[in-house]
Formats: sequence, structure tokens, C-alpha cells
Amino acid sequence: MQTKLLQTVLDSLGDGLIVVDMAGRLLIWNAAVENLIGAAPTALALNQWPEALGLYEPVECKTYPAEQLPMARALRGESCECEILVRTPLTAKSIWIEVTAHPLKDQNANVVGAVTAVRNITQRKISEQEIQRLHDELESRVRQRTAELEAANKELESFTYSVAHDLRAPLRHIVGFAQILEEDFRPKLEPEAQQYLTRIQQGTRRMGLLVDELLNLAKVGRQPLNLQLVNLAPIAERVIAELAPSHEGREVECKLGELSWANCDANLVKQVFQHLISNAIKYTRLRQHAVIEIGKTEVGGQMCIFVRDNGVGFNMKYVGKLFGVFQRLHRNEDFEGTGIGLATVQRIIQKHRGRVWAEGEMDRGATFYFTLKGLEQEPGAQESK
Amino acid sequence: MKNQNMSPAEVLLVDDNPADLDLARDLLIANEHPRQVSAVTDGEDAVAFLRREGRFTSAQRPDLIILDLNLPRKNGWQVLEEVKADPKLRSTPVVIFSTSEAPRDIGNCYRLGANSYVRKPGNLQDFMAVIQSIGQFWFQNACFPRREEQ
Amino acid sequence: MKAFDAEILLIEDNQDDLDLTLHALKRENLANNILIARDGEEALDFFFCRGNYAERNFDAPPRLVLLDLKLPKVNGIEVLQQVKSDPRTKSIPVVVLTSSKEELDLVRSYNLGANSYIQKPVNFTEFRQTVKHLGLYWLVVNQPAPQGACEPAGQEP
Repeated sequence: MQTKLLQTVLDSLGDGLIVVDMAGRLLIWNAAVENLIGAAPTALALNQWPEALGLYEPVECKTYPAEQLPMARALRGESCECEILVRTPLTAKSIWIEVTAHPLKDQNANVVGAVTAVRNITQRKISEQEIQRLHDELESRVRQRTAELEAANKELESFTYSVAHDLRAPLRHIVGFAQILEEDFRPKLEPEAQQYLTRIQQGTRRMGLLVDELLNLAKVGRQPLNLQLVNLAPIAERVIAELAPSHEGREVECKLGELSWANCDANLVKQVFQHLISNAIKYTRLRQHAVIEIGKTEVGGQMCIFVRDNGVGFNMKYVGKLFGVFQRLHRNEDFEGTGIGLATVQRIIQKHRGRVWAEGEMDRGATFYFTLKGLEQEPGAQESK
Repeated sequence: MKNQNMSPAEVLLVDDNPADLDLARDLLIANEHPRQVSAVTDGEDAVAFLRREGRFTSAQRPDLIILDLNLPRKNGWQVLEEVKADPKLRSTPVVIFSTSEAPRDIGNCYRLGANSYVRKPGNLQDFMAVIQSIGQFWFQNACFPRREEQ
Repeated sequence: MKAFDAEILLIEDNQDDLDLTLHALKRENLANNILIARDGEEALDFFFCRGNYAERNFDAPPRLVLLDLKLPKVNGIEVLQQVKSDPRTKSIPVVVLTSSKEELDLVRSYNLGANSYIQKPVNFTEFRQTVKHLGLYWLVVNQPAPQGACEPAGQEP
């Protein structure tokens, strides 16, 4: 029944077209169908197609269930689209096809057959799989690098730990003998010798602090995280109270704003507040009226906690050095410190897979920000639980 | 300088005399030694507390146990024996705090693994001094194994 | 009193640590009756009345033993293990006094029966304070095991 013109038009299409009647007999097909699957299945009943034409379900490569073929579904009145893997004995090569089928209806909307379009998507599938393969490869490489980095980190941390640990004993001896010298022999020492003795003691005090903080930094890295839903405000409050003696006699105003809950290790996050708030106390030392603010804010669409002070601040040029071990932006005579505190803060936040950064301006204060998981929730959302 | 990261200790007092218990607790807290002093008044509660059973499921595992010997329901030796036989509790130091001076009582405590035996003095002045000394030694100087925070 | 009957046994191999500890003990008037063992083997000889200490008697145990963990020949953990697993020596108070606060050392020491564990503070004033508290607590407040408890097992109720 096909007119020559219609057949010419159909044959010029790149996509295959098949029209079947209710019995599954082929009414119309075009040359593209023959190209795709070797020959038009004119002599086959629909339920023979999967076996005879080599139609497979694309994921598990099982023979395509005949009743699930798009034509069969269209004959039941359903429009559908699916992908089929074809490996027909006639062409002896595999291709992927995308099949779209619609029911064919008469004037009274009765289904009288089905129209099916068949498109070769082999190239697209191959590209997709290539992308997936590259992606997987990249991911496994990232995983491997991360594991290597973590191992190196661990090794460095245990090295740091054992060095700091072993330094404690000789340091203890120097401290002890210096003190015995001071207490039992001071009157016999020349003033200059007494001076040197004092310098030795200052040096050992500083070294003691360094060793303790290094040990702590290494310990932070080695300890497993104990994640819990934690209310941050009481922690910050406790830290503020504990640090109060360190600024006795000064005018220091601590404004604790609304914080929230976070999924974190309470002990470690307490340390973060300890370092940041004691830093703020230290670097506002020259202010008549020191103001330290602790609160929650949104930066770049992300909720974070901040600790802000009106202290001496720092030059943003050096912001990159702020969190490095032993890096200091101030002379020790001006502000005493070991340069390990902020490195510890960073290590703790990194362990929580959060981010920490700082903003400052010379003589106009500094603000430290950090993110933790779970900050996004409304404060108090968990309290009702 | 004391290690700033040393978290204050937790202690469990086990004593069936409420007045002694109260006094000891107040003295320990007043001297700012431990962070928290929990108290139970019989041996079965002591074991349940340590194992976080029954009404003690949210109890903090203590760093130190101060244990009287003459206790209702389960006596101090039994508690001591259970603590020292439990791999999870064994490393927690136990100080026996009892009025008994009987060599046999003291000897049995050490044999069962008590870490220390302190005689509970009769008069208040001595009682206070002894508690003070327990606090000083254990909370200002001794180290405890890390307890799992919860 | 026999020469071997000491109130405190100090087990320490490092000369610097030894001098500092003795200095602190003297300061607190605790050094009158002190015996020193310089390694784990010597300490075990003392505990078990062997070798140079063959004349010693199990009935006169020290009131306090201060044990360093890092020791030559036989280390502190091993000493602890032997002393605390023998009924003749189990009741002698042994306090670990060491530089380390390694979690593993802490747990092992307490598990083996150490009576307490002290990390020597770096600060010497604090260390003297520690020694003072140690002395007061173990020599005055703590009740030692009765002599009978130091005899071989099997005779107890």
C-alpha cells in the first residue's frame, strides 16, 4: 500500500520507522530499519523478535522480554521510550538503539497499531561510557592521592609527637637544675650570671609551651573524631569564663551572639574557641576598651561561626601565613606566642571537613571564621527534640 | 604550667552513709578538684552506674572510684572484685574508704586489686584532711586513662 | 632496721632524673629512708629477695615504690607485671612516675595493677609539689597491706 513517494521520503530518514498492526505484522518500515538490524522482521511474530533479532536489555544484557518491547507496550495503548542493545546475527555487530513507540489510533480512539521510531545511539553511549570511565579513573586517582597524603600526614604527626615527647625529659632536667641553681646558689652568683640564669629560665618556659602545644597538635591529628550534635553556645560561654582570669584588670567586653548546634567533636571545638578567643584577648591588649564578638553569620551562602576583635589586626598580605605551624605575624617581644595555636585550629576544622579563614586590617582588628557541618539548621531546631 | 587540655576528672563516690557522702562530695567540689562527683549509696547501684545499666544509662564513666566497704545489697569487696574483673572497668583506680582497721579487711582489698586503702577517720577535722589529701593526690597529680566522652 | 628495709624504693636509671627526684624528696624530708634501683633487674631482685638482696625479707616491704617505665634490661611494664602477679609482692604500692603520658602506657600500667600513674611535670616547682603530695598520700594517708598479706597465697580467708 505504500506509495513510491512516501517510501522515498521514509527511506531518506536517518532514523528507522516501523508501523505494525494489532497482530504485530509490519505495515510500514524504511531502509534505516534494515540498516540498523540487518533486515525488516516481516516474517516474524512480535514475541519472536528478541530472540531472532538479538535484542537485549542494555544493563544486564539479558534477552529483552517480548512483552516489554516498546511496540508491544504501544499496542497496549502506552507511549514509551527505551534503550535496547542489539546484536543481530545478520550484521554481527553490537549497537545501541533508542526506541520510541506510540499507539496508533483510529477516529474512535481505538488502538489499531503502533508507530515506532528507532535511532542509533551507539556513538552517544560510547561517549557516555568513556566519560564515566575517565571519571572513575580520576576518582580512584584522587582517592589514592588522598590516602597517600593522609598517610604522609599521619607519619609526620607521629614523628612530631615522638620528637616533642622525647624533648620533654631533657627539658625537664634543664628546668629543674636551673631552678636548683637559682634557689640554692643565687646569692653566690654575680649579677651578670643571675641575668643569664633568668634568660635560661625564660627560654625553657617558652620551650615547655612549644613542646606542649606541638604534642597537642600531633594528638589532634591522631585522635579519632567523636562526632555528636553539639550546642556551641555553652561551649563558647565556658571558654569565655575560663579565660576571664587572663585579662584581669583590663576592660574586655565579650559579646556572645546567637550560635547554633553543629555536628562536631565537642572537646576539639572547645579547643578552637580557646585558641581563637585567647588570641583575641592577646591582640587587643593595647586597646583601652577591647571588644570581642562571637556569633554566627552567612558568608557566600554558607553559615559560619566568627570570632571578631578590635585588636591590632594584621596585614591581609600575610593572610596565607596565618595558619602555618611556627608562622607568626608579630614579634615575640610584642605578643608572646608559639605559632602553633592557629595551626591547631586549622587541623581541627580540617578534620571536621570544614573551612577556616581570616580577615584583618592593620590596627583595625581581625575576624576568624570557620564552618562546621550542621550549622545551617535554625538555632533551637534540635532543642525541641 | 599545667596542661591546659587536661580535662577535669570525674569521680564516683559509693557510701551508704548520706552524711559522709554529702560531706565528701562538698569537700571534693569545694577544692575544685574533680569536675563532677557522682554518688550512689549501695553496691548494686555502684556496679549498675559503672556499667551504665538500668537508670544509669547516661552515666559518665568516672576516672576514680571512692568505695566504702560496708554497703547494702552488694558489699564493697564484691563491687571491687567485679570492677577489677571487668576488662572495661579494670583500669579505673579504686580507693577504698572505710572505717575498718582490720588487717584482714585491708589485706583482702589489696588482694582484689584495690589501688589504695584509706581509713575513714572518726573525727571531722581528720575526715576533712583525709578527703583533702585524696583530692590533692588523685586530682592534681595522677593521670587517668582517657574515658570515652559521650 | 636492716639496711634493706626502705620506706621508699625509687626505680630510676637516668642520673638527671634521679638527682632531681632525690633533691625534691630531700626538700620534703622524705629522703631519709630511700633505696635506689638503677634498672628493672635490680628492682626485681629487690622485690623477690634475690641476688644482692637475698638477705632481704618479704615481711618488710617498702611503703611506696616509684617506678619509671623506661628502664634498661627489664622495662617498667615488665617489672610491674611480675610484681603485681605474685601474691608475695602484689600488695606493695607501686606508683608509676614517668615522662610519658602515652595512653597505651597508662592503660597497661593500671591494667597490670599499678596503684597510680604520674607524669613528671616539666615545671620543677610543680614537680616538688607532686613529690610532696605523693609522700603525704602514700606514706601517711594510705593504709599499707598488713604483713600477713605479703606471705604466699593460700593462707588467706
